Amino acid sequence: MSKINEVKAMVEAGKAKLVPGLVQEALAEGNAAKDILQGMVDSMRVVGDLFSAGELFVPEMLMAAKAMSKGVEVLKPLFADQSTSSLGTCIIGTVEGDLHDIGKNLVSMMIGSAGFDMVDLGVDVTPAKFVEAVKDNENVKIVACSGLLTTTMTKMQETVQALKASGLTGFKVIVGGAPVSAEYAASIGADGFAPDAGSAAVKAVELAKN
Amino acid sequence: MLTKKQNLLETIKGGNPDRFVKQYEFMHFIMEAPGGRFPQPGETIKNDWGITFKWPEGQLGGFPVHDDEHKVLKDITEWKKYVKAPVIPTSEEAWAAAIAHANTVDRNEEFVTLFVAPGVFEMTHHLMSMEDALMALYEEPEAMHELIDYLTEHELAYAKALIDHIHPDCIFHHDDWGSQKSSFISPAMFEEFFLPAYKKIYAFYKANGVELIVHHSDSYAANLVPFMIEMGVDIWQGVMTTNNTPELVKQYGSQISFMGDIDSGVVDFPGWTPEIVAKEVERACRNCGKLYFIPCLTQGGNWSSFPGVYDSTNEAIEKMTKEMF
Repeated sequence: MSKINEVKAMVEAGKAKLVPGLVQEALAEGNAAKDILQGMVDSMRVVGDLFSAGELFVPEMLMAAKAMSKGVEVLKPLFADQSTSSLGTCIIGTVEGDLHDIGKNLVSMMIGSAGFDMVDLGVDVTPAKFVEAVKDNENVKIVACSGLLTTTMTKMQETVQALKASGLTGFKVIVGGAPVSAEYAASIGADGFAPDAGSAAVKAVELAKN
Repeated sequence: MLTKKQNLLETIKGGNPDRFVKQYEFMHFIMEAPGGRFPQPGETIKNDWGITFKWPEGQLGGFPVHDDEHKVLKDITEWKKYVKAPVIPTSEEAWAAAIAHANTVDRNEEFVTLFVAPGVFEMTHHLMSMEDALMALYEEPEAMHELIDYLTEHELAYAKALIDHIHPDCIFHHDDWGSQKSSFISPAMFEEFFLPAYKKIYAFYKANGVELIVHHSDSYAANLVPFMIEMGVDIWQGVMTTNNTPELVKQYGSQISFMGDIDSGVVDFPGWTPEIVAKEVERACRNCGKLYFIPCLTQGGNWSSFPGVYDSTNEAIEKMTKEMF
């Protein structure tokens, strides 16, 4: 098995302690940093798909994301002077009035591991804060809004409207959370919807590339 | 006409109920018992474990706060340093109101019910955040086993106090084990970490006069039903439609009953109408049938977030009783 494949296997298995050493070995074997990174991104896609299919659970996804982040730490210095394979910046947050953060954090990990630079605004984020974050950050390609309460769905709508009315361009808005459906997402003007963290990463990549 | 209690027992034992059980009608909650503190709307409180809860004004519930400042358990390997179980009140005064209330209940008609929350799983993530708790199951399994044992011992001590003072007939026990689509952890992990704890807790209640264990988890948890049966759950309340409730009734009905199948998120929202409620109730009743099933909102208690929804659900259930019994 090549070292990159070993890295991939250990990311999928969530072996955070083993991945940094294997990434070093993969580099020593002559593999390019961007190829190793791509290997880890591919692994997280596999993890996301297995999660969506109900074959993996939240702890396995968290462990895989942690393993990948340990690998990325090794690669980061090598990317310092060059553009990485980043797909752009993704702003993420749970909408105003809603303090749920588990789903949002999972989505953040999965979108981050798909190759985006993440800016996590946390929970209870006002529409104005979302807009401000798009202004304050470079190369924003995706804004992801999470909400788990039926009562905060109106805030999700306000957030999407505020982002669309801000005059800012170059980004797409995706929404998700227990009460949100594809129909609801479309009705409030969002560009995309995802039912879980794995599909959120796929949707974010798809929207950023179009 | 059967009493509420008799009708419930006929339903869950596969007998001859004379009507659908209307949601929580068989449980008479004694909410005065000393126990965990929860915030009211708009409040931020710190409970007896030191966990900070915030309930934003106008929203649907309280949430534990887990920033670095507020997280109680900052390092699972040092849980003994951070986690201190609260003292269970023993004075007569502390229990007087609950005892007085319980004494007013006709136990032939209703089950004297105590509300116990949060459960052992929820306690682990309330103390340290969901991410930390779930990763600790992999990274520090021994420490997690120790913490779970400690939480279980506290629950057992609290259970003893409840039994000694109130002699409950029913325990309504909260512990959310999943999201709407999957259990939070795999069945194997659940079996290793949480099944032993719940076997102890529920066996203790059953051995001390509690007739009925109702476990609340408004989530997907179909993959955990065999464990619910093993730990002694009589009724799983909160079963969401994502579990395919009719199939669960068919597969496990003689061993456990299912209470829910009316997803609160679908009927209990600002724009609710009696027509939406009636449609969902009819679907649930027709699909799940008359035995081993109790039509109910998936919410964990005898109320709704928006005024009128709970009562409207009861009215729709009465209508289905007229049509199906």
